[in-house]
Amino acid sequence: MFKFLTFTVGAIVALCASIVSAADNVTVQLKWVTQTQFAGYYVAQDKGFYEAEGLNVTIKAGGPDIGPMSVLAGGGADVAVDWMPSALAAREQGFANVNIAQPFAGSGMMLVCRKDRGVNSVADLKGKNLYVWYFGNEWPFLSWMNKLGLATDGSAGGVSVFRQGWDILPLTTGDANCVSAMSYNEYWQILDAGLKPEDLTVFRYEDEGVATLEDGLYVKEENLSDPAFVDRMVRFVRASMKGWKYAENNTAEAAQIVVDNDDSGSQRLDLNTIQMGEIAKLTAGSNGALSEADFNRTVSSLMTGGSDPVITKMPSGAWSHVITNAALK
Amino acid sequence: MVFFWGAIVFWILAWSANIWIARQKERKLLNLFPPILFGGSVILVWQASVVYFEVSPIILPPPSAIYYKFISSIPILWGDFVQTAIKGALSGYIIGCLVAFTVSLIADKFKFFERGVLPIGNFLAAMPIIGIAPILVMWYGYGWQSKAAVVAVMVFFPILVNTIQGMKMSDKIHRDLMQTYNASYLQTLFKLRLSTAMPFIFNGLKICTTLALIGAIVAEFFGSPIRGMGFRISTEAPRFALDMVWAEITVAAMAGSLFYGGVVLLEKWITFWHPSQR
Amino acid sequence: MSKGSRIGSDNKVLPVVCILTLIVIAWYGFSVVLNAPWEYDKAKRNSITLTTTELVSNTWSQKRPKLPAPHQVVREIWDTTVNKKVTSKRSLVYHGLITFYETIYGFAFGTGLGILLALGIVYNRATAMSVMPWIITSQTIPILAIAPMIVVALGSLGFGGLLPIIIISMYLSFFPVVVGMVKGLKSPEQLEIDQMKTWSASKTQILFKLRAPRSTPYLFTSLKLGMAASLVGAIVGELPSGGGSGLGFRMLSGSTFGNTLHIWSGLFSAAILAGSLIAIISVIQRVVLKRMALEL
Repeated sequence: MFKFLTFTVGAIVALCASIVSAADNVTVQLKWVTQTQFAGYYVAQDKGFYEAEGLNVTIKAGGPDIGPMSVLAGGGADVAVDWMPSALAAREQGFANVNIAQPFAGSGMMLVCRKDRGVNSVADLKGKNLYVWYFGNEWPFLSWMNKLGLATDGSAGGVSVFRQGWDILPLTTGDANCVSAMSYNEYWQILDAGLKPEDLTVFRYEDEGVATLEDGLYVKEENLSDPAFVDRMVRFVRASMKGWKYAENNTAEAAQIVVDNDDSGSQRLDLNTIQMGEIAKLTAGSNGALSEADFNRTVSSLMTGGSDPVITKMPSGAWSHVITNAALK
Repeated sequence: MVFFWGAIVFWILAWSANIWIARQKERKLLNLFPPILFGGSVILVWQASVVYFEVSPIILPPPSAIYYKFISSIPILWGDFVQTAIKGALSGYIIGCLVAFTVSLIADKFKFFERGVLPIGNFLAAMPIIGIAPILVMWYGYGWQSKAAVVAVMVFFPILVNTIQGMKMSDKIHRDLMQTYNASYLQTLFKLRLSTAMPFIFNGLKICTTLALIGAIVAEFFGSPIRGMGFRISTEAPRFALDMVWAEITVAAMAGSLFYGGVVLLEKWITFWHPSQR
Repeated sequence: MSKGSRIGSDNKVLPVVCILTLIVIAWYGFSVVLNAPWEYDKAKRNSITLTTTELVSNTWSQKRPKLPAPHQVVREIWDTTVNKKVTSKRSLVYHGLITFYETIYGFAFGTGLGILLALGIVYNRATAMSVMPWIITSQTIPILAIAPMIVVALGSLGFGGLLPIIIISMYLSFFPVVVGMVKGLKSPEQLEIDQMKTWSASKTQILFKLRAPRSTPYLFTSLKLGMAASLVGAIVGELPSGGGSGLGFRMLSGSTFGNTLHIWSGLFSAAILAGSLIAIISVIQRVVLKRMALEL
């Protein structure tokens, strides 16, 4: 009983403390575990860019069971890193979120297949076992299958879809013909596991015309009417983009910073260094501001998802240049 | 506003009704009311609170939304139920039971084996399913087989322990009697010891019904074809379709309770002679 | 009765060692069998043929084995416990301690809640009839589905960190305690309760002097089950919590990166942690029950 009381009192005190100093605090929820996919934020923190803007930033790592949109909706973070399809789906389900920045211009999503398991081109995909992540990452895949005319519900002439776990073992030791991979992460895990590039057929979603926008920064729409919040976000975005550009030019140092910040102790420096190099290719095309053309491309891809479209209505007010206009002046 | 306070009043009234029912003489039909009244008042307060406090539907949906989703998704829910509960949980349960029975029969015949197997089984049972599930999915693939394997592993130890304990339950005087009849080991086993072991065996079987379903659902989190209760829960949650998640949870609760109830009925039939059944 | 059926730890060592040895031998064998397909796959793609000794030694030293050989698991555990500083994030001890704290707090709360509910059920028939079926139903709800919702809901109220994990741990551990304590508190025979009444004992006195002491064997059994459930709850709770630490998260990140050795080392650590905690309760049980002359 006493323990419970101390705990509750402690929690209340912590809550009060956080309210009092809310002025300069920013909590950002990442989409996945600590890795160089989020180097910009770790670099900005480590190199003092946030501090220089007068911000006290807490970076919350994500993980397999954590949805950035859920955390954002629940108030567990001020800003979340998420992929656009997931954010738009959440918006349609009733959670008003807004994209305030888009550090990732390019998409790293790919479907990696084994040549020795019969997949050499798009035409070979029929009837194969395709492994796809869900958790918001399935939309580009479903759009693509719809474009190719391949049914995903198990009917004849289509493909067999499996919800991929969080590793690439189905491709190496399992019975997958293809697995989903990011160009900067799982692809290198596949190579690390012993498969060689010449053994693999790689389909890049960008090349297939079904790529959607990936890592972007999202906030709760209602917070944008608070000028103090907007100001904090402007400083946050400015410092974060500075962190991204630094990371692009100093990949080895960025990888080291990220690995040092990993709470779980499982990240490997070698894989993260490679990952940073690949991420740099995706962030290079952006200064942080969302390109409206890219947004429209993503939306049209999502609305034509066949039997199960991601979104059914054209989103309005889903993004805003208010923050990036001020931050990148 | 009115609805919310109305729900609170309903709770108080329902509770008073329960207290009144509790004071009456025990009658089978009347016994159903308290849990139903209690559950009903919880749901009503839930509905009222969500509406009154304007809780966002992506944090907690109101029971009405869950009900509508449930009604409109019966085919999907049924398909998921078959995949997870029947193919995964039930088959794993049966496999786990059979293996556990075999091992406990061996342990019964060879005391040396029993003394060794129980501590090791204890250690194995302490291994969390979060670690066992990915490994078994790695070994048995993404189909229902790996889910059945996870369930079998989860179910094995409780049934083993209960069966071994149960086999010791026959009275010495009864076993002596069998010996005077010149009964063989197998005859004693089937005609005496298994019957006296049944109450304990069923204890284990009952505990394992809920474990089995949960094991199958958790195993699906680590990889599955695109159907199944675990799959549906883990993919609908990030899509913010929480009403679907809760509909699946309802199915899970119903399935678990039905399974448990089924085993209880079986127990009543087989161990009709035991004091607890009278 | 057969000679060897006394409950004494010295009688268990030889059988356990024998069976363990058999298991380890079988384990090495299965390692070869399960890891072989990948070896053959690799060899085929590199156009080399493997001799049997090569195959065996390769399967026992793969980087991402389907079934790591025992020495690989032992080496991994040794590496991440003894060879690392306790405060390092790569140390199993560090993660184990975090899970340990979550488990202990969850266990404490769960036991408290369980005893309170049991008292309510035993003393108030209305509670017994209305709440008991729902308590049983609550355990059929898959905790892995509820856990993220609890984390988000508590996060929206400002409670982050370990608290959601402790709540989830409490959710799983209160059930064995309720069931056991209800059985235990009801275990004194009516004869004994009547005798207390002839001594004009009040309800509180009957509780503390008859029901409570009589329920201690049941309590301890439930505590052991509750401790195991707390650990499972703590591990499950770590997944959606994004703390990035704890044994559960470590096993999950091992699974994410195909680092199977992390999964196995985490698995064994969790089992060892559970085993030690339960052993502590067993020791306390033996001491307490001996003093109460209730040793079973």
